Amino acid sequence: MKAVGARMPRYDGVGHVTGQTQYVDDVRVHGMLSAKALRSTVHHAAITNIDTSKAEAMPGVKAVITSKDVPLLEYGHLSGLGIPADEPLLAKDDVRYLGQPIALVAAEDEDTAQAAVNAIEIEFEERPALWDVRKAFDADAPRSHHWGNWYTHFEDEMDRRQIRKGNIEQAFEDADRLVSGVYRTSAIEHVPLEPQVSLVTPEPDGRLTIYSCTQALYFSLAVVAAHLEIPMNRIKIVGGTVGGGFGGKVDTATETITALAAMKANRPVKWRWTREEEFLVSSTRAPWHMEIIDAVTNDGWILGRKMLTLHDSGAYARFSPYGLTKHSFHHTGAYTIPNLHFDGYVVFTNRTPSTAMRGFGVTSISFAVETHMNRIADILGIDPYEIRLKNANRINDTSPNRIRYTDPSTVDVIHAMSNATGVELAPAYAGATRQPREGDMLPDHLVSQLKTEGH
Amino acid sequence: MNIRLNGGTVDIKSPPLTSLLTVLREELNVTSPKRGCDQGGCGACTVLVDGTPQRTCLTPVAAVDGAEITTIEGLGDSENLTAVQQSFLHHGAAQCGFCTPSMIIAATAYLDGDGSAEPEAIQEALKGHLCRCTGYQKIISAVSAAATKSEFDLTSMTASPNTVILPGGDT
Repeated sequence: MKAVGARMPRYDGVGHVTGQTQYVDDVRVHGMLSAKALRSTVHHAAITNIDTSKAEAMPGVKAVITSKDVPLLEYGHLSGLGIPADEPLLAKDDVRYLGQPIALVAAEDEDTAQAAVNAIEIEFEERPALWDVRKAFDADAPRSHHWGNWYTHFEDEMDRRQIRKGNIEQAFEDADRLVSGVYRTSAIEHVPLEPQVSLVTPEPDGRLTIYSCTQALYFSLAVVAAHLEIPMNRIKIVGGTVGGGFGGKVDTATETITALAAMKANRPVKWRWTREEEFLVSSTRAPWHMEIIDAVTNDGWILGRKMLTLHDSGAYARFSPYGLTKHSFHHTGAYTIPNLHFDGYVVFTNRTPSTAMRGFGVTSISFAVETHMNRIADILGIDPYEIRLKNANRINDTSPNRIRYTDPSTVDVIHAMSNATGVELAPAYAGATRQPREGDMLPDHLVSQLKTEGH
Repeated sequence: MNIRLNGGTVDIKSPPLTSLLTVLREELNVTSPKRGCDQGGCGACTVLVDGTPQRTCLTPVAAVDGAEITTIEGLGDSENLTAVQQSFLHHGAAQCGFCTPSMIIAATAYLDGDGSAEPEAIQEALKGHLCRCTGYQKIISAVSAAATKSEFDLTSMTASPNTVILPGGDT
């Protein structure tokens, strides 16, 4: 245990402070082509015509890739888990968000590639766009996705992530009062200093070498191989040096399309996004809409929680079903509420698809839960530390998804906070521990959850 | 056209309006200045032009004809780190590392100009440089320490005051 708590130099620190660390854009390969994408200029439309012939005939253009060139057009990052894919690698029949890639041109230099992109003839027939997750369920809402306006492929083809625990009706009957709140977060762009980039070199032995800025190398390996319908042993991915990711480089944003261009041109191809593309097109943290109604007692116990979450997935599912699942497991925060009724929907809109970002799915619910705790304390006139310590997870309590806590740290964390801020707690709360509930900390309504079958 | 690059003179073949960033990275293969935004917003492409930090993405190469250009390759190498480089390493001020060369360039110019160890002054000096990883605190600490110290012991980085002692284990 020499490393814990010690100041250790970064293993890659010397390279960083001497400028010798090699990022993807720093890799130099002989004969490399540059790539530019044709992207949707509208938010939602049918593609009625596309003609790449003028672009292909331009001097210096070595490959033009469209959906027709992709062996397996739709493959998702969660396909390996049996979750169906919904997003084409390059748009085919329609576009569902501004900036969606439709074609990629590889040429001798970036200017030639961009000129060729501009020479591609494309026609759209615009459709109404859906922006507000709250309107997605209206009968007259614009239709944003071929599955409907929300994801329908949870287990047993359920259309929501649902949690039922305890007896919610009884909790609402027993409550002294109900406290409700609506909480919303907005999309956030990750803004890594290094924009999305990859470089793919076709090797003489038929393999592909992919230099990637991915955060998830094995995801990218599987996803590229699946789209290209080639075995993984024909792909060598060089990764590990990421110029900032924060979740935004978990999606395989560039590797597969660049690989197709490199194979068609039989030349190394680099596709490097501009900062403008990074802001406008790369995936974001999702906006979330969260509604909570809690059944509470006047002395600050939370007997039950009804909750509705609408997760704005943007135009395609990507990792959103997974993020919403994590969100649902955490929807009581660090507190124990024995009676629960949670419905969460992954809603499709015509926004840029959202993805993982630091605390995927959990950051949103933590914000909602902690704000709501303060609201309850405020309404009841109870100290915000005390209401937290009262309901804090203790050993043998169970989570919304019925995990039995064996060593929860909530009590200790709240004590650390009150110590750091100089808040004096009443003796009953200052002496609270993470040990199993007993006495005043084990009111009747929490007895049954201790008997919930946990795992 | 030519420039003095890290002590040597090099001829420039690119057209005069080519950005200094493109000349350095693509013609001269000096890749420490990074193309973070290509529009003067992030600071990651900064080098010293006659000792003054300058954004190379907005600088036509013709504007620096004959000038002395210093990139981080012209400071210390891995065997011979400058105090600023040592301090960045010691303080964990480089995380993903993409902004680091330009941060160190700007900090070096600041300290060469007798910049103080005051965090507010350092913040002012580095305000044009974006970092998305560190939250800046470690960078400011690193520059502040380098303002008062010329060497850091990197061979025996020791336990911090916040060392966590795990039950049943030593530190």
